[in-house]
Amino acid sequence: MSSIATTRIQRELKDIKESNNQSIKIELKSDEFNNLRGEIVGPSGTPYQDGMYKLSIKIPETYPFNPPIVSFDTRIWHPNISSVTGAICLDILKDQWAAALTLRTVLLSLQALLSAAEPDDPQDAVVAKQYKDNQKAFVKTARFWAQYYANAPGPRDTDCVEKLRKASEMGFYKDISLQALSTHSWDLENAIQYLTSC
Amino acid sequence: MTDEPGTSNSSQPSSTQFECNICLDTAKDAVISYCGHLFCWPCLHQWLETRPNRQECPVCKAGIGKDKVVPLYGRGSSNNVDPREKLPPRPQAQRPAAENRNMGWNGLNLGDGFQMSFGIGAFPFGFFGSMFNVNDGRPRTPPPDTPQYQDEQVISKVFLFVAIFMMFWLFVS
Ligand SMILES: [Zn+2]
Ligand SMILES: [Zn+2]
Repeated sequence: MSSIATTRIQRELKDIKESNNQSIKIELKSDEFNNLRGEIVGPSGTPYQDGMYKLSIKIPETYPFNPPIVSFDTRIWHPNISSVTGAICLDILKDQWAAALTLRTVLLSLQALLSAAEPDDPQDAVVAKQYKDNQKAFVKTARFWAQYYANAPGPRDTDCVEKLRKASEMGFYKDISLQALSTHSWDLENAIQYLTSC
Repeated sequence: MTDEPGTSNSSQPSSTQFECNICLDTAKDAVISYCGHLFCWPCLHQWLETRPNRQECPVCKAGIGKDKVVPLYGRGSSNNVDPREKLPPRPQAQRPAAENRNMGWNGLNLGDGFQMSFGIGAFPFGFFGSMFNVNDGRPRTPPPDTPQYQDEQVISKVFLFVAIFMMFWLFVS
């Protein structure tokens, strides 16, 4: 790893500690400076509110001249984040990266992305379609995922809990059942049909 | 690099305004963009090399480039360091003419240009002259427009004429 990348990461970790922002966290995964773990809190007023989202951050050799490679480890239902892989579609992580941006600004941008999705530039086409066509189902799903995967507090939607229980009682894995139910906007029959066909 | 004052005091919050916007350390070989953002020249150079098709300030995305930054010279900062040891070279500071000298600027410029081309043109001449004439101390090829030069031209033409005549004579006979 180049010395400029290492010294910059050290510097950034120090700045984040001093900034005292409770809603973002970054720490080293090991002694290596090219592999970090981030965490953001879901912003209030969104379905992700108070969820804890873990991020994997890989620092390229050429950092900060090229962007860090960031993805969600915690599963999330959002038009610009893959519900399967956690890959993120965000311009500053691609061609709009600038060398003066930091991991802190990246994490703050991700929080902003959770507050304001961009469904016209989607990463997950299924989620983006639901976001546009069935906003109610989208909010219900995103909130349930936040509680199920990101430990967001609050009572869970009983309809979601019930249908997920039914699907898993039929012998399907919970994660796969939740994915199928979410994709079919909580239509149990369609979800089961989909699960049995593949 | 390490003996420069102010390099290692990054713990002082007051020094952050002189930190490079790319490496976040105290700027070395500092340059400032027209939009007012401070960088180490090596850091900015690498950024410009990374994005050759999009020369934008890493902070505010204003247009930026090698000719759109000004080097900053602090007191005794890097004046005592051989600039050739620095790669890539930092762009030169410019010294625009003062207002009241604008009238004479074009003429002066022309004069400079003339002097420069004369100097370059004369150089190899003098160089070869001194190379070939170490022993006899007299230039082998006299400079043009001297009587000596013209004499030699006439003599060489005479010899050429004689040679052609001799060959023609041999051929005929
Ligand atoms: Zn720098
Ligand atoms: Zn700028």
